[in-house]
Amino acid sequence: MNALLRSRGARDALVALVVVFGVGSIAMLLAHVSPLVGFGALFDGALGTPEEVAETLVQAANVLFPALGIAVAFRAGLFNIGAEGQLILGGFAAGWIGAQLPLPAFAAVPLLLVAGALAGGAWGAIPGFLRARFGANEVIATLMLNVIAILLTTYLVNGPLQQGGAGASETAALPRSAYLPDPIALVGDPHLTLAYLGTPIVVGIVLALVLRWALLRTVFGYELRAAGDAPEAAKRAGIDLGRTALVAMALSGAIAGLGGATIVAGSLHRFNTGLSPGYGFIAIAVALVGNLDPLWIVVAAIAFGMLQSGGIAMQAEAGVPREVVSLVTGLVIIALAGRRVVARRRTT
Amino acid sequence: MNATLAAILAVLGLTLVKATPLIYAALGGVLSERAGVVNIALEAVMIAGAFTAVAVSGATGSPLLGALAGILAGALVASVLAFAATRLGVDQIVAGTGLNIATLAAAAYGLVLIYHQPGASREVPAFGRPGETVLIVLAFVAALTLQFVLTRTPWGLRVRACGEDPGAAEAAGIDALRTRFGAVVIGGAIAALGGVYLSLAELDLYSNGMTAGRGFIALAAVIFGRWTPLGATGAALFFGFFAALQYTLQRAGVPTELMQALPYLAALVALAGFAGRVRAPAADGVPYVRE
Amino acid sequence: MRRRFGAVQAVDGVDLELFPGEIQALVGENGAGKSTLAAIAYGAVRPDEGTIEATGAVGLVHQHFKLIQRLRVWENVLLNREPKRGWTIDVAAAQARVRALGATYGLAVDPDAVVETLPVGIKQRVELLRELDREPAVLLLDEPTAALAPSEIASFFETVRGLAARGTAVLVVTHKLAEVIAYSQRVTVMRAGRVVGRHLTAETNAEAIAREMVGGEVPALAARAATTPAPLLALRDVAATAGISTLANASFDVRAGEIVGIAGIEGNGQSALADALAGVVPFTGEMRFAGEALDAADSPASRIARGIRVIPQDRRGEALVLDWNVRDNVALGRQRVLARAAYGSAALEVIERFDVRPPNPEAIVGMLSGGNQQKIVVGRALTSAPRLVVAYQPTRGIDIGAAALVQSRLIEARNAGAGVLLISFELDEIFACADRVLVIASGAFVGAFERSTIDRGRIGALMAGHQ
Repeated sequence: MNALLRSRGARDALVALVVVFGVGSIAMLLAHVSPLVGFGALFDGALGTPEEVAETLVQAANVLFPALGIAVAFRAGLFNIGAEGQLILGGFAAGWIGAQLPLPAFAAVPLLLVAGALAGGAWGAIPGFLRARFGANEVIATLMLNVIAILLTTYLVNGPLQQGGAGASETAALPRSAYLPDPIALVGDPHLTLAYLGTPIVVGIVLALVLRWALLRTVFGYELRAAGDAPEAAKRAGIDLGRTALVAMALSGAIAGLGGATIVAGSLHRFNTGLSPGYGFIAIAVALVGNLDPLWIVVAAIAFGMLQSGGIAMQAEAGVPREVVSLVTGLVIIALAGRRVVARRRTT
Repeated sequence: MNATLAAILAVLGLTLVKATPLIYAALGGVLSERAGVVNIALEAVMIAGAFTAVAVSGATGSPLLGALAGILAGALVASVLAFAATRLGVDQIVAGTGLNIATLAAAAYGLVLIYHQPGASREVPAFGRPGETVLIVLAFVAALTLQFVLTRTPWGLRVRACGEDPGAAEAAGIDALRTRFGAVVIGGAIAALGGVYLSLAELDLYSNGMTAGRGFIALAAVIFGRWTPLGATGAALFFGFFAALQYTLQRAGVPTELMQALPYLAALVALAGFAGRVRAPAADGVPYVRE
Repeated sequence: MRRRFGAVQAVDGVDLELFPGEIQALVGENGAGKSTLAAIAYGAVRPDEGTIEATGAVGLVHQHFKLIQRLRVWENVLLNREPKRGWTIDVAAAQARVRALGATYGLAVDPDAVVETLPVGIKQRVELLRELDREPAVLLLDEPTAALAPSEIASFFETVRGLAARGTAVLVVTHKLAEVIAYSQRVTVMRAGRVVGRHLTAETNAEAIAREMVGGEVPALAARAATTPAPLLALRDVAATAGISTLANASFDVRAGEIVGIAGIEGNGQSALADALAGVVPFTGEMRFAGEALDAADSPASRIARGIRVIPQDRRGEALVLDWNVRDNVALGRQRVLARAAYGSAALEVIERFDVRPPNPEAIVGMLSGGNQQKIVVGRALTSAPRLVVAYQPTRGIDIGAAALVQSRLIEARNAGAGVLLISFELDEIFACADRVLVIASGAFVGAFERSTIDRGRIGALMAGHQ
């Protein structure tokens, strides 16, 4: 227990808690709301009823996927600030393809998810390629691509690929066969509390386990971590840094794109321009709070899921503007930026 | 003939308008990076400048006071990054990203608190054409001044020393952490003027997301301009030109989003083209931790 | 005028006195605490206990120069003390001052040159000038001749003598005993953080000092077996560049079962040679390994696959992942070839054969001492069935026991049939291990000696660029 408390991860989590509650309270007071009332509404909104718990888990899943993607990139020494764009493109690909092809359920859902992963992976591969081939700074590249992704999908969904009827910026609704399997329907008993777990978060947890295994127990993970932790030594040990950068960024983008597809298939059931209220950026905080470890990231994602879903209730019931949640999220990122200087090759 | 000339002049004029906020932000970025701190949070600084300028101008009726307040706000936000980078020694890019998120949210929150409406503020007293022109000219003056300061003054030499090798600078008796702190804060003050221009000169209000990633394009301009004030100004003009082009081509029927994407695409291409052929200050982005 | 201090831990209860006008040598092995002591004396590091008294400014010329590469000479020399005119720097005055300094001390340098472009010996002059501009009462020189050619060393000490004659107290921190005997008046010997001997130089000799430094006998090296070398590596007209290191024209052979030593002063192309062999940089010319031509576009992976093992110069930056444990570091380079289950036994083999302490495969490498880190790097290379070992400064900065072990293992690898290319800046190491000695200067090979015909003076002259 002592070791746990002294561990850096525990300290970071504590700092995050202080920031959230401390700054959050100040912001609430500025809005003339008592922090007790404000946070009370937040938690009640996040965990009050089973439906609200389900919503929290959905929000958790929405940030979990991009956070896992970001963590993979960070471990390879790369800053993927473009998870937002990758997620949006993944969602778009899933939404569009899903509406085009009427397929039976067992084929439609995997196809959607794969389409999302491929689209996100391609979008992540672009900065990966620029970094590998030209040594270009992936931070600026991913930021630029975020904006381009939003503009691209907005254009497509309002113009050539618009399907939601005139004036609606969205694709057509997915056929029911393309919905993520509903656990209630699968299990058959609406009172079974396990059913409210929701498929997206389960898929996310499985993915986290797979990634953890891949990072720590495979040669692929070994080389990826070496490229991130000691690039010069890795290069001399025969690891191809350019290829690692490309693969890591593509994988990172694919995971984020998969997240976008999951949002479309699991809850939204279509793509529209309001798909993501910045999940790709919140995910940076989630990845950091989780210390770049897939399993701790799951825990962090649930915590941030609570903030997201509770935030809506907090605004509705206590009158605290939702922006407080984004504010504390940003501050948590600053607080946890940490001394972990990601060992990167010097690029422009 | 006259119509073409008028069109060209219009584009050139629009280029200056679009480039000015980029120039201010890029200059702030150059100063910060030459001292060794990667300032990903130029966006946050501009937001702070834009919002505060509007709020104060609305409250006092004076755009000038608003501008001064905006500069202070930018310096304040930059000092958060400076503190994290120098005193805490944290990763500058991660901290900067957090600052961007937090500041955007804080401004949105401020909008609700002050104007009781989300999304945008009321219109406030703003700079007219004369004020706008002053700000444009001031940007170029600032560029020349910064170039001179960096190369010809003792403080500028110290800044450059800290950006190349803070250990060696400290061996010569320079307080590297304090120099870096100062450079980031002053850079923030300059960059904030870019935000002030957006909200009080080009328009007369603040709306969520009005900076639209200009802080990041400014970073690309810093790289493109090889980390020199004059170079960054030139790069900013280049990007501003693309933004100006957007309006002209729009009337030719090209889709809006494609045009809006032009500056970002241009930055991306510039990044690929220039990467590897220019060198950042040697200690750029590397936290300096005293033994 | 004197300086005196006592301090603890890396430096343990040391008293030192320096008198004006004297040249005192501070000797000890790597890790004895000499550099720490110098840093304390300069004021860069604060001692936990003890006091420092000096009757004037103290200057320190660091072993690895604290120069800002991309700034000019005058900017470096006068950093933070620039002559001003109003708010701006008076550049002309700054340049004039540097020229005047150079003239006074006999250390001429172009004030406007960018430091990055200067050769090492000139860079050291810049470093010296920076300290001399403050007119120090005490001057500390940390390993000042590490990067100098023999002729430059002589003129360097002329300058030092001139400074002492003007009343400056000079402390030379070094491990080069020949220089100590030739140039100092007093010598203080440190070992493991304590002072173990103080002498007047005239009353002692190199052997006595060496024994005090080591505290006993040096462990013996492995015996050299008589073998018939078979051809292994052949270079013809190879040229390469790695950063500022340039290899101009290399033609030599290394045979299996022999150690070829490359003697040279740091900065004469050794890094380019090592990196070209490792596959890190491309080369022109012809390189053949075991009869097959090596492709200039090869990656390090293909060189490793052929059995070429390179021990890099910078273990912390180029060979180890400091955050990882010993087991994962030993696997580095062979991570695909070894089965994951075998990582553990490979680590244990290295720990045992190379006496790594603590003998724990889970230990974090960043926490180990330099000597143990180096043993891991060398052990990893030698236990992976190497055919050619390129050892670049394999005993840099480690204690004498670890150094002897490393050199022994290299000789054993040679006995077992591997070819060894030993690139070192320490002539003693080359003379102890090599079967043949090649001399490199300015990127070209300028001399070859069989073990039986080694001529120290001639080799020194060739290293310095004399014919």
